[in-house]
Amino acid sequence: MGNRVKITINGSVHEAEVEPRLLLVHFLREVVGLTGTHIGCDTTNCGACTVLLDGRAVKSCTMFAVQADGRTVMTVEGLAQNGQLHPIQEGFHQKHGLQCGFCTPGMMITAFALLQRVPNPTEEQIRWGISGNLCRCTGYVNIVAAIKDAADKMRGTPAPAGERS
Amino acid sequence: MKVEGTYTLPAPRDKVWALLNDPGVLARATPGVKKLEPQGDDMFKATIELGIGPVKGAYDGKVSITDKVPPERMTLRVEGGGKPGTIRATGELRLEESEGKTVVNYTGDAQITGLIASVGHRLIGGVAKQMASEFFKALERELQKR
Amino acid sequence: MIPGSFEYFSPQTLPEAVTLLQRYGEDAKVLAGGHSLIPLMKLRLAAPRYLVDLSRIDGLTYIRESEGFLRVGALTRHGDIETSDVIRSGYPLLADAARVIADPLVRNMGTVGGSLAHADPAGDWGAALLAAGAHVVATGPRGGRTIPLDEFFVGTFTTALQPDEILTEIGIPQSQKNSGGAYLKLERKVGDFAIAAVGVGLLLSSTGACEQVGIGLCNVGPTSLRAGQAEQVLRGKKPDDATIARAAETAATESDPADDLRGPADYKRDMVRVLTARALRLAVGRAKGGA
Repeated sequence: MGNRVKITINGSVHEAEVEPRLLLVHFLREVVGLTGTHIGCDTTNCGACTVLLDGRAVKSCTMFAVQADGRTVMTVEGLAQNGQLHPIQEGFHQKHGLQCGFCTPGMMITAFALLQRVPNPTEEQIRWGISGNLCRCTGYVNIVAAIKDAADKMRGTPAPAGERS
Repeated sequence: MKVEGTYTLPAPRDKVWALLNDPGVLARATPGVKKLEPQGDDMFKATIELGIGPVKGAYDGKVSITDKVPPERMTLRVEGGGKPGTIRATGELRLEESEGKTVVNYTGDAQITGLIASVGHRLIGGVAKQMASEFFKALERELQKR
Repeated sequence: MIPGSFEYFSPQTLPEAVTLLQRYGEDAKVLAGGHSLIPLMKLRLAAPRYLVDLSRIDGLTYIRESEGFLRVGALTRHGDIETSDVIRSGYPLLADAARVIADPLVRNMGTVGGSLAHADPAGDWGAALLAAGAHVVATGPRGGRTIPLDEFFVGTFTTALQPDEILTEIGIPQSQKNSGGAYLKLERKVGDFAIAAVGVGLLLSSTGACEQVGIGLCNVGPTSLRAGQAEQVLRGKKPDDATIARAAETAATESDPADDLRGPADYKRDMVRVLTARALRLAVGRAKGGA
């Protein structure tokens, strides 16, 4: 009783026969082998499993792979290009935006979606934006700094917060 | 978890008392009860299938009636268990007659364990009240049948 | 956690979806954003045998004003409402509610129609849309019918929808020059269900009296509640401090909360009073031309 799905993940097309009850996060980790997306709480609270679905940040533990059929998914593995870290990854690295690292893939994907929409976010916009992603180590201060750093790099110039947002 | 409330039934107390002591009525009026088999005096084996929206569960349990003071009060005890969890509940019903009607005051206490308790805690109080009200509405329909 | 097995359908049209619901009846569940249903399925508290996914049906996502109503398609995501210019400029009650539902990630998937049809007493849309005087459109084998939201919530997780009906649209009386609203939610932390929340929608007359008023209460009863007696206190009167205080006290008596991990019933009832007064003041200010 498999259903055939065709999902574009980080630019390449993956086809597979899956049971309808297979969660997207299990599809990514176990069928495709992309283990960067983490399973944290498994109850739609923590955001460790965040991926982009057609450009929107969503919790992949709370959708079935069949729902993503024909759609586009980006995981944390899709951030770096040609061996070059993405500015968001660099930001987390340089500003110490992680300690244990478990929440980091979801946090970075959420940051990516936020910066697409709001290229120059205020601290409040960043904190509001990541309010669906839980971190138990950092106290968030360095995560916010990392995202701010990435925003500046991605715009090319550091600018006072609030502009163009 | 405690629930309490009052319901007025449009019939004299003796009639309501008789109704509450009729296993057939109890089986039909109690939400979710599919079968109530007598197991001696005022003891029953119950098969319950309860659906609250998408949350559906099947439970096996025991229902007993104790502390009877006709036609004033009785205590209902329900114990049951199923996949989503277990429940032990007691409910005391006090019947007062006023102008040909019967005012039923009920107080209940329930201990719930398992998944239902951990996940559904916030809903149990409301659902219990809703079920009590369904029970009395069903009793009212039974009264009309007589 | 892995849900029980089910058969999955993703119909392309509404009639196809309705046909599937007719065929499978109570064994089928409609899947919209899935952010209430899938967690229940993962816990195996819900185990529908058939899932009918609406997400591939075109034309159920929209926010537009027509013929005196704001019309919102049932598959419109909470996040779409949060960022909609139409909502931001004319419907502060809905804008307030949209931004406090769960968290941003959930708002990217969860839908307004799904939230209403799930009928969780803690659903923010229930209270907000009761306050807004909304109705819903249910589409079934015999076409569409309109259900006032007042008659929609039958019990916890239970609505007036028939098993073969799909909620397809939400309608709200269009905002006017002197209308205002607010939704205030007290929560333990971002993303949590409300300890209590109150929605207020109102329309002031030229003399500044409350011509129309709606008050909705969230998570303080077996269903979303409408505080009809509190509305009556305000109707036709100027919303001065004394009247607002009386309405807020009335709303508190109309709430029916239960003790749980979010607090004892008395506390929640008092929070209904506080939030109702604050939401009324905010809504009146907005109706008079404030932000």
